[in-house]
Amino acid sequence: MSHQIRIATESDLEKIMIIEKACFGNDAWSKSNMKSELLAPHTTYLVAEDSTGLIGYAGLSKLATSTSADIQTIAVSDSHRGLGIGRLLMQSLLDFAREQDAKDVLLEVREDKPTPQSLYKSLGFVAIDRRENYYQPDGIAAIVMRLDIEKTAKSAPIVLGIETSCDETGIGIVQGNKLLANVISSSMDQHARFGGVVPEIAARAHLEALDSVLAKALEDANISITDVDAIAVTNGPGLAGALMVGVGAAKALAVSLNKPIYAVNHLVAHVAVDILERGKLETPTVALLVSGGHTSLLLVRDILNDVELLGETVDDAAGEAFDKVARVLGLEYPGGPEIDKVAKDADPKAIKFPRGLSLPKDMEQNRYNFSFSGLKTAVARHVERAEAQGETISVPNVAASFREAVVDVLVTKAVNACLDNQVPRLILGGGVVANSRLREVAAARCAEAGIELRIPAFSLCTDNGAMIASLGAQMVMAGVKPSDLDFGVYSTIDF
Amino acid sequence: MKQVLLAIDTSQGTSVAVLIDGEVAAEATDSNPMRHAENIGTLIARCVEQAKVKPNEITDVAVGVGPGPFTGLRVGIAAAKMFAAGSKAKLHGVGSLDAIAFRLDLEAPTLVVSDARRSEVYFGLFQGKSAKGIPQRLMVPAVGKQAEIESRLQTQAQPYELVQRPVSAVSIGWLAIALVSEGVKPEPIQANYLREPDAVQARPKKVSD
Repeated sequence: MSHQIRIATESDLEKIMIIEKACFGNDAWSKSNMKSELLAPHTTYLVAEDSTGLIGYAGLSKLATSTSADIQTIAVSDSHRGLGIGRLLMQSLLDFAREQDAKDVLLEVREDKPTPQSLYKSLGFVAIDRRENYYQPDGIAAIVMRLDIEKTAKSAPIVLGIETSCDETGIGIVQGNKLLANVISSSMDQHARFGGVVPEIAARAHLEALDSVLAKALEDANISITDVDAIAVTNGPGLAGALMVGVGAAKALAVSLNKPIYAVNHLVAHVAVDILERGKLETPTVALLVSGGHTSLLLVRDILNDVELLGETVDDAAGEAFDKVARVLGLEYPGGPEIDKVAKDADPKAIKFPRGLSLPKDMEQNRYNFSFSGLKTAVARHVERAEAQGETISVPNVAASFREAVVDVLVTKAVNACLDNQVPRLILGGGVVANSRLREVAAARCAEAGIELRIPAFSLCTDNGAMIASLGAQMVMAGVKPSDLDFGVYSTIDF
Repeated sequence: MKQVLLAIDTSQGTSVAVLIDGEVAAEATDSNPMRHAENIGTLIARCVEQAKVKPNEITDVAVGVGPGPFTGLRVGIAAAKMFAAGSKAKLHGVGSLDAIAFRLDLEAPTLVVSDARRSEVYFGLFQGKSAKGIPQRLMVPAVGKQAEIESRLQTQAQPYELVQRPVSAVSIGWLAIALVSEGVKPEPIQANYLREPDAVQARPKKVSD
């Protein structure tokens, strides 16, 4: 049974009070005290809930004038103890304390309660004081505990991630959930005259870019290479020859530093990037990954252990379709931004282009799969027919109608994936996320369906090393065994 | 301070060695021409361990820059670059055919060839050595059909002995040491591909043809 943590609102007050009274009896706060706590500007209250409703809550207080934060209270309903909900609430509060730049976090705990004390100890809290007769009317002493949060944050592993699966040479550095550097060198310009990524050109560019990208990443992160605790590298899916540059580089770097190496799945890493912006990944989540190389729908229940590939393109990737249609329309490479530009203010309904794999029978057999090859051909036919008849086409209207068809299919299938699986959130990733219409339609339809939409910063959406480092860091922190040194690369999706 | 040199070549199979003050302390080669990415980490780790040095004690990294088939060649160069960055070692680039020639006596003109796939060979013509043992090139390395090259040399009345053998990382290391001691300007650390990438220029065309 899954549970989730969210920020408390005043409407939670009644339910909080039920747990408060059950948990604390004589020590329980009054309803009015609890209400002012919930509403105070310097406090953060979180609630945990599952399908049965509210099952726990916890609060943090941090004054702007102080470098210390205080855990105000924490409670989990009797029937939900021992499920790790208290730990989850505490970890979430500590994340908030970090975000508010607290240097340490303080709490008091009843001396006669060993269970919460051991939870706090396991989170790094140390007893620093004892207050006699603190809890009245029972006359129980309080143990004051303190967590040096600055030091805890520093002990999060520094992971360097290398990404070379397509035409971007990316090296990112993270510390735990925090982004330290994200440097990208793209060979896109070298592919322009070919109208698409040429694998050999991409691989050559990776080799040439490695040194300078590494140097810049270390400089941005302001660390020495010997500070790195682990290396992560994309080993698929992607262009085999390109992947091998990164894998060779990463393995040698790991051996030279005598540090572990983690082989990372490129698509899952696109999802892990969200952790760098939010401090954690809300699960379950659906992810729609759209680029020149991929069009994939993932269902992520656990970023490390439970990622399901719901569907993918059966022919061209969406970004590839943009490139090919741009060529047909005489637009530049890469096609996505060019089509986006000319389609602005044009009529997306001017031409009714086909929606691939969207017929009723397809929606059964290929519900989450995509196809853009037929759409691309339809655009080409439309243009040729017009030319043959001596008509001039409206490039803006063709571009807008094509874009609408792609976006419609992408968003429809992604929203279906959320609704079918009762997943209330969707993350977008991949370079096509730059497309303004995709963002618009996704935002509107997610809002309509009550789905929370996450769109990471664009520099984290396109292929990058930070996402690889982020997934690597999650593996390190979860104690996942490092990869053996002899792993290879794979070009197609492999879950 | 002693010199601890890690040598890598992936222009044919994957070959790695560690030389301590020029003495071979460890050597490991896998001749499989398709498994560079898989093998490179294991072979480096094995050599470092066998040589009983710590990775950060490596002072120099020498790498064969080819010519060689692209995909494999890049793995070795990428590895060498990153190992040098991680261990803060000096990086040296060495011609892979030159390294083969380094082990030959070269009294007679010698045509060194290696497999370039697609029925072609990479080749270099060498004769004589410098005082430090550096092979002297009569022709810069190039790529072509072996029969054509040989018939061209015969037409030019150029005598040659034909040699085709694996390149060893030990030779890469020794040649790098010789080049440094002779004060030869180091080559840039760039893959010597000798072929343009396979790519055709896209032109707008009728998709429905």
